[in-house]
Amino acid sequence: MTTTSPLTVPDRRGVSKAAAPGTPPRRSRFKQGAGRQHHGGPFAYFALAVVGIGSLFPLYWTLVAASRTQDEVLDSPPPFIPGGNLFSNLQTAWEQAQLGKAIWNTFLVSASITAATLFFCTLAGYAFAKMRFRGRGALMTMVIATLTVPPQLSVVPLYMMMSDIGWNGQLESVIFPTLVSAFGVFFMRQYLLEALPYELIEAGRVDGANNLRIVWSIVLPVARPAMMVLGMLTFVQTWNDFFWPYLALGAENPTLQVALGQLSASYVPDQSIVMAGALISTLPLLVVFVIFGKRIVGGIMSGAVKG
Amino acid sequence: MATSTPTRGTHGSRPGRRDPKAMSPGRQAWRSRLWRFDDKASPYAYIAPFFLIFGAFGLYPLIYTGWIALHRVEMVSLDQMDWVGWENFSKILQDDEFWTAVANTFVIGVISTVPQLLMALGLAHLLNYKLRASTFWRTVILTPYATSVASAALVFALVFRADGGLLNWALDFVGLGDTNWAQGHWSSKIAIAVIVIWRWTGYNTLIYLAAMQAVPSDLYEAASLDGASRWQQFRNVTIPALRPTILFTIVISTIGSMQLFGEPLLLEGGTIGAQGGSEHQYETLSVYLYNYGWKLGHLGPAAAVAWAMLALLLLIAAINWLVGRSVRKTAA
Amino acid sequence: MRITRTVAGRRRRTAVVATTGLTAAALLLTGCSDSGSDSDEASDSNGKITLTLADFGQFGYKEAGLYEKYEKLHPNIQVKATTTADEQVYYPKFLQQLNAGKGLADIQGIEVGRVKELVDTKADAFADLSKVIDANQWVNWKALQASTDEGKVIGAGTDIGPMSLCYRRDLFEQAGLPTDREEVAERVAGGWEDYLKLGEEYKKKAPKDTFYMDSASAMYNGVVSSNEEQYYSKDGKAIYKESAGVKAGWNLAAEAADKKLSAGLAQFQDPWKAALRKGSIATIACPAWMAAQISTYAGDDFKGKWDIARTPGDTAANWGGSFLAVPAGGKHVKEAGEFIKWATAPEQQAAVFKAVGVFPSNKGAYDLPDVKNATLEYFNNAPIGAIYAEEAQSIPAAVLGPKDGVIKDSISTQINNMEQRGTKPDKAWNDAVEAVDKVIG
Repeated sequence: MTTTSPLTVPDRRGVSKAAAPGTPPRRSRFKQGAGRQHHGGPFAYFALAVVGIGSLFPLYWTLVAASRTQDEVLDSPPPFIPGGNLFSNLQTAWEQAQLGKAIWNTFLVSASITAATLFFCTLAGYAFAKMRFRGRGALMTMVIATLTVPPQLSVVPLYMMMSDIGWNGQLESVIFPTLVSAFGVFFMRQYLLEALPYELIEAGRVDGANNLRIVWSIVLPVARPAMMVLGMLTFVQTWNDFFWPYLALGAENPTLQVALGQLSASYVPDQSIVMAGALISTLPLLVVFVIFGKRIVGGIMSGAVKG
Repeated sequence: MATSTPTRGTHGSRPGRRDPKAMSPGRQAWRSRLWRFDDKASPYAYIAPFFLIFGAFGLYPLIYTGWIALHRVEMVSLDQMDWVGWENFSKILQDDEFWTAVANTFVIGVISTVPQLLMALGLAHLLNYKLRASTFWRTVILTPYATSVASAALVFALVFRADGGLLNWALDFVGLGDTNWAQGHWSSKIAIAVIVIWRWTGYNTLIYLAAMQAVPSDLYEAASLDGASRWQQFRNVTIPALRPTILFTIVISTIGSMQLFGEPLLLEGGTIGAQGGSEHQYETLSVYLYNYGWKLGHLGPAAAVAWAMLALLLLIAAINWLVGRSVRKTAA
Repeated sequence: MRITRTVAGRRRRTAVVATTGLTAAALLLTGCSDSGSDSDEASDSNGKITLTLADFGQFGYKEAGLYEKYEKLHPNIQVKATTTADEQVYYPKFLQQLNAGKGLADIQGIEVGRVKELVDTKADAFADLSKVIDANQWVNWKALQASTDEGKVIGAGTDIGPMSLCYRRDLFEQAGLPTDREEVAERVAGGWEDYLKLGEEYKKKAPKDTFYMDSASAMYNGVVSSNEEQYYSKDGKAIYKESAGVKAGWNLAAEAADKKLSAGLAQFQDPWKAALRKGSIATIACPAWMAAQISTYAGDDFKGKWDIARTPGDTAANWGGSFLAVPAGGKHVKEAGEFIKWATAPEQQAAVFKAVGVFPSNKGAYDLPDVKNATLEYFNNAPIGAIYAEEAQSIPAAVLGPKDGVIKDSISTQINNMEQRGTKPDKAWNDAVEAVDKVIG
C-alpha cells in the first residue's frame, strides 16, 4: 500500500481544499476538536488496550519464534514466551542471508533516496510554491496526476532499461527510480505555500541575495520541520520497499526485504531462523519508532490536515 | 493560490549595496541582465531534477510499457522485440486467471479496506477523547506501519498455518480449529486482508484523528444544544465533516490493494505463492504480472497486464471524481 | 510535532548543511560500494581466490566435504556456496543475473528442465567446457543435453535421477505389507498400476494419520520420465497433449486422487517438508536425489525406518539431475572450470553419492567400489549402488524442450488440485492445458 497522505481535506464548508502539511490547527479562532472536551471512559481505554495488544502481538511473537527452535515454533500449542535460541538463530540468519550486507545496502538505499528526495523535492516544492514561471500550473497538475501511479505500471520497461544500462542487480537500479517523489514535491509545496512569507524572500532580495542564496539561507531553514517529516516518511517507506527491489535485486546483493524473501525460500526450512531474519529487518525501524514515535505521529497528522 | 514573485528593486540595480556609486553603468547593466536571467532560469533549474528523474524512470517507462505490450519480449532474450500487435492483450483478456486476479484484487481490496477504515474511524474517535498518555496510544497503534510487508507476511504465514498454527490453535477452543487458511477461497483472502488491516489501520486512524481535530467545536455545541447525543453528534457532525477525508482514504486504499504483492507472494511462499495459490485463490494483479513476466518469462503479456491496471486505475479515478462531486454537491 | 514558522537560526542552517552533505555522501557511498561489489571478496591481497558457487536443492557437495577437500588441495582457493531450496525460486533470479551479466556466481547450477532453454538462448553467456572436461566420460544423453549444435558444452553433468521407490518399513509392517525390499519390488514389478494396487491394500489397514504417497505428482513424474518423448517432439514442437507418457501418468495420478491414496502435498513446499518430519508419508516415487531430500527433511527420528526398493515396472527412468556451468563473464572462469572438472570427476561424484545418494552421471564412477557397493545407512543400508547402476545404463535419451521444467510444474499443480481439492480430472486437465499454453507463450 502507499504511504501517501490525503491530498484533500475538508475545510469548514466541506469544500475540498488542498492540504497544507505541517500547519498546526488554528486554535486561536475556533475551539477545535470537539471530542477533546470529554474524558475517555474505561471503555475507551479497554478498546485501545485491545487494539494496542493486537498491534504489538505479532511483533512480540516474531521475537518469541526467533528465540526458539523450529520444532517449538511449529508445536501446538505454540510457545508464548521467548526461549533461549535467539542469538544462535540470529547468527544463522545473519550468515545464511548475508544480512550484514543487506542492512548496509538497505541503509545506503534508504539514506540516499531520503537525502535526494529532501533536497530535490524541497527545491521543486519551493519553486512551485513561491516562484512565478511559465507552465507552472500545468507542471504542477502533472505532479499531482502522478501521485497515485503505482510502480507496477512501469516495472517491465524499467527492468529492461536496467538490464541495458547494466544496473540490473545493482543498488542503482533501486535507488534511481525512487530518487524523487511526486508526493515529496507536493508535500513541500503545500508547506512552503503557508510557512514561507513573501516578506522574507523580499528581504533577502533587498539584501542582494541571488536565488540560490535565498534557497540556501531562507527557504531551507524555513522548510526544515516539513523536511524532517518528509524525511522520516520517505525513510520508512524505502526501508520497507519490496516489490521493485524484489524484481531488480538478487540474492547476491539484496536489501533486507529481498534477503528476507530469499531466506524464506532457502534450503534449510527453519521457521525460527526466518523469524530471526524478520526480527533483524524490523528492529532498526522499531528503534527509530521508539525514539521518534511522537514526531512521526505528529508528522503524519500534520501532513494529513489543514486547520 | 495567487502568488507574485517579489521584485528585486524595480530599477534593477544592485540592491542593498552600501555604496552604489562604486559600480560603473556598464557593469550595472550586466548585473541587471544577470539578475533577470537568474529569475527566469532558477525556477526551471529547481524543478528540473524532479522532472528529469521522473521523466527517465517514471513517465518514459510508463509509456514504454504500452509499446512493449504490443511486442513479444522474452526474459531469456531481452534485447529482442517482435511486433505482435494486440495479441498480448487478447491473451490476457481471454485468460481466466487474469479475471480471477481482477476479482481477487477487488474482493481483497474491499474486505481489507472497509473493516480497516471503519476501525480507524472508531479508533480515531476514541483517541480524540482526552486521554492519559495519548501519544503513547498513538505510537502503539502506528507501530505495525514500521513493519515491512515481508516481515508481516512471514509472521502471519505462521499464524495462519493450517496444521497447528497459532490462529487455528486459538480457534480450536470454540471448535473452529481446522481451517486451511491459505487453501480456502475466502479464508485465504481474509488472511491477506488481516495482514493489510494490521499494517495500515493505525496510519489511517491518525489521518482521521487529525481531520477530527480540525472540526470546529461550535458545530458540536450547536448539536448538543439541539439535544443530540454523543452518538448522534458523531453521526451527524463528525462523519459529514470527515466525508472528503474518508473518500480520499478509500481511494488510496483501493489503489493500494492493486499493489498487493508481498502478502500473497509470501503467504505460502515458493511456487504456489508466485501463482497466488494452487487455484489462484488469492492471486492479485501484481502477483499475476510478476508470475507472467518474471516466473514464466513473458514480458509482453506482463506489460499488457500493467496497462490493464492503468485502465482500472483510471476507472477508479473517474468513479472517485463522480462520487466526490456528488459529495461536494450534497455538502454545499 | 509542533511545527514552527520562525526563521532559521544558526542550528537550522547546520542541519541543512548536514542534510545536503548526507545526500552527497550517500550517493558517493553507493557509487563506491557498487563498483566494489563485483570484486567484493573475489581475491584479497594475498592472492587468495574466493570461488562463488550458487546451486539449489541438494547437490551434496557440502555434505560430502568436497569444498574443504578442494580448499586443502588448492590452498589459494576458497569456495563459497549459496544454496536455494526451491529451483523455481532459483532459476528466475539466475536468469535475471544472466541478463544483467552481473551478480552471477563463478559457478552456477542448472537443472535438467532448464538446460535446453539456456542452450538455445543463452549459450553465449557461458564458458565452453568442452575443452575442460571430456564429454565422452558422461552417459551419452547427459552430455548431449548441455551441448549446442555447434558442439559447445555449457554445463558439466553432476547427477542423474534413476528412479526407485522409497518406502517406510515400519508403516508397511503396521499396514500388513511386506517390508523386505525385494518383496516390495516384487509386488510392484508390473509397473505403476501395481504400485496403486499396493496403495489400496495399504489404505485398508493404514496407520492413523498416514498416507500411502506424498503426492501423485511424484508418481506422474516417474511415469513420464520413463519415456523418450515427454513434452516436446524431436523437432522442438510442444506435444504434451498427445504424449503417451503424459497421458499415462495423468490417468494414474487421477486414479490415485480418486482413490485418495495421496496426502496431496505439493513437493518441496513447507507442508510437504512438515509431513516428512512428522512421518506421515509411507512411500515416495524416488529418483536418486530424492533420498537426500527425504533424509534431510524427515530427520534423525526416521533413520533406518526408510528403505529403497527398485522402481515399479521394468522401464528405466530418469527424473531430474543437474549441471554445473561457468558464466563467461566471471572473474575466475579458469579456476571455476578446474573446480567443475574436479567436482564432476568419477571419484568426487562417487563421494557425493556415498554421502547423500545423488547418483553420478559420469560413467567412470559406476565401476568404483564406492558406487557399486554403496549403501545408504539412513535407508536401512539399502544397496543403492546396485539398485541404480544397472538402471542408469538403460535410461532412454529423453527429448528435452526449453520449458520442460515449468510444464512439469504446471501439470503437477493441477494433479495436486485433483488430490487435494477433489477437482474433477477433466477440469484439472483443462486448467493444466491453459497454464502450460501460457508457459509456452
